[in-house]
Amino acid sequence: MPPAAFKKKYSETQSSEMEASGAMSRSLSILPSPVKEKFPQLPDSPQVTLAQELTSNIVPSFRSPCSSNQKMVGNLFSSAPGCPSGLGCSSLSPNTNRWMSSPFYSISPRDGVSFPSTQLSVSIVENNDVPWNVDAIENFLDMPLNIPVQNGPIETSTGIMSSEDRAKKTDWQDWTDQLIRVNDDALDSNWSDLLVDVDVPDPDPKLLDLPPDVSTCQPQIHQAHPHPVPSGESCPVIDSPTATSTKARMRWTPELHEVFVDAVNKLGGSEKATPKGVLKLMNVEGLTIYHVKSHLQKYRTARFKPESSEEKKSNTGSEMTSLDLETTMGITEALRLQMEVQKQLHEQLEIQRNLQLRIEEQGKHLQMIFEQQKKMEEEKLRALSNSDKHSEPSEDNHASIKDVASDVCIPVDEHPSKKETSSEAKPCKERAPDDRGCSPPMKRAKAYETVTSGASHES
Amino acid sequence: MKFGKRLKQQIEQSLPGWRDNFLSYKELKKLVRRLISSSSSSSLEYCGGNFKAEFVYLLNNEMEKFNAFFMEQEEDFVIRHKELRQRIERVMNTLGPNGTRPSPLEYREEMAKIRKEIVNFHGEMVLLVNYSNINYTGLAKILKKFDKRTGGVLRLPFIQKVLQQPFYTTDVISKLVKECETTIDTVFPPSATKSTAGLAVPGEGIFRNTVAALLTMHDIRRGSSTYSHFSLPPLNFPDFDVIQSLQLLSPIQIP
Repeated sequence: MPPAAFKKKYSETQSSEMEASGAMSRSLSILPSPVKEKFPQLPDSPQVTLAQELTSNIVPSFRSPCSSNQKMVGNLFSSAPGCPSGLGCSSLSPNTNRWMSSPFYSISPRDGVSFPSTQLSVSIVENNDVPWNVDAIENFLDMPLNIPVQNGPIETSTGIMSSEDRAKKTDWQDWTDQLIRVNDDALDSNWSDLLVDVDVPDPDPKLLDLPPDVSTCQPQIHQAHPHPVPSGESCPVIDSPTATSTKARMRWTPELHEVFVDAVNKLGGSEKATPKGVLKLMNVEGLTIYHVKSHLQKYRTARFKPESSEEKKSNTGSEMTSLDLETTMGITEALRLQMEVQKQLHEQLEIQRNLQLRIEEQGKHLQMIFEQQKKMEEEKLRALSNSDKHSEPSEDNHASIKDVASDVCIPVDEHPSKKETSSEAKPCKERAPDDRGCSPPMKRAKAYETVTSGASHES
Repeated sequence: MKFGKRLKQQIEQSLPGWRDNFLSYKELKKLVRRLISSSSSSSLEYCGGNFKAEFVYLLNNEMEKFNAFFMEQEEDFVIRHKELRQRIERVMNTLGPNGTRPSPLEYREEMAKIRKEIVNFHGEMVLLVNYSNINYTGLAKILKKFDKRTGGVLRLPFIQKVLQQPFYTTDVISKLVKECETTIDTVFPPSATKSTAGLAVPGEGIFRNTVAALLTMHDIRRGSSTYSHFSLPPLNFPDFDVIQSLQLLSPIQIP
């Protein structure tokens, strides 16, 4: 895509503000109460007031005025693979990423800006994840976005926000997106634990019940193509790939479909039922009439033309007349064979997927170790230059690295794997910033062994 | 190069409606190649910063494409799955031996149709999982190339995001596939001796695509020059020879 077209797309869509604030409202609705206390400190600026309003209605309904324009996310939880089906997926990340890559980004000069996001993450996640988040984020330094570091008062950000209108909106969205990003990054499987414990005022029953209660039909809405918002061209935008349609995509799970079918049947069947009636009867938060309409259409098509669409896909063309018994048997066997092949493919895909997940998990942890190690060495240097006591820090360093390493390792034998990971940390160190594949093949092979031995051990 | 070619083959053999929804691997690779790989950090920042932004933008576009397509298909599958089950129940309850108006001939006919449909349905769902997987693989590879070229660290965090995307979280579909398999067991008569490959051969469409997918997977995982600890181990499944022979035989339609 030529850069010209690329920039043009940015100026077209203007909905990021609404989206961001919508997304933020969603994320804010889940934040624990300590966060809420921060907000009264904000000086009065339009967006800030909006935020306050949003937080005071802890759960803005999907039918709020901006609902059609908002990027709505039914579920902010980063999903682990074991997540209940249809529930765990956040669509914020790509949009966030896109936004972060906007060339209109105006926050970069403000180097000193610190956002409270990590404070939030500290209050949410009380473990070692925080340093990793921050550091991993720092890796994006050559992106236009300046990732917030640590513990800044909200006043700073709002001070910036009140400078000019354009910047205001920018920073606000930035903060929003940062929040969302941090939430995404930090939380992973911590969410379910967290939400059980945290006492959030006015909890949205559907949102918070999700982890323990799988069968709730919480819809998931993924904003593919945002509405253009008449709020001026100044906002750096979250793009939409083909910005023609404006639907927010719903993820239809089997459970949600059940509810749908029940509603349709109660209303007299797929022909008689109207989208409006179905929508009302289903009474699912976040579901719009548009979703119901399109789904109903698909449903009708599936019921009354099942064979034509199936046969087209299987591309047989010939008609089913009354069949010979023998032919039927032959066909059955052929189908059986087809089934076998399909089953195999599926099995292999599942295995492959699990491996991929595990590999990335390992990679993530290795990165974490590397970052921690780096940090500790920096601190060590600082300690060396400042004070005389440098024996203590180094011991601590070793202890904690080992702890992390042992956490990380796939449960193989203790010693070899520990050695692998700590020795891998060093080549990683060289690899990550200057990744030209200069780690010697030997070390790679060793690490690979760890993975595979772990894999075989587990399977 | 190998992945690109394999992907292209897969796309060519995939179902018509799907072809436009795969990863634009070749284009992205070209883009990465355009990058001037330099060792000095200053020029890297200059073109690296903009380039990275553009690159991420494009990747996000691709992911949106996957997500949209995937969720659309998923929705269809959810609907069809339920419909098939209901239909089977209906047929069994009316035309079946214990039904309200048993009719062996009709029953057989209907069941034959159903069997074909359900097997194809199963196949389609598996292909969707395959779609998800191959696009993921493509993304991972592209990110790796990018990092290699620019010395950046885009890959690791970005891949974490990818893992959470709807198109990659194929749990629902996998569950449907499993349920489908159970249903199929009820619909198929108990199997006789396992017949050999000579009997049926993949024609166009789903079966062929499935075979191609399996072979592609095998190839991709056979090992490459850039084998790292992020690479998957080689594929190892039985009947590989059978599958391979399936592809070589000329297509015969399953009537």
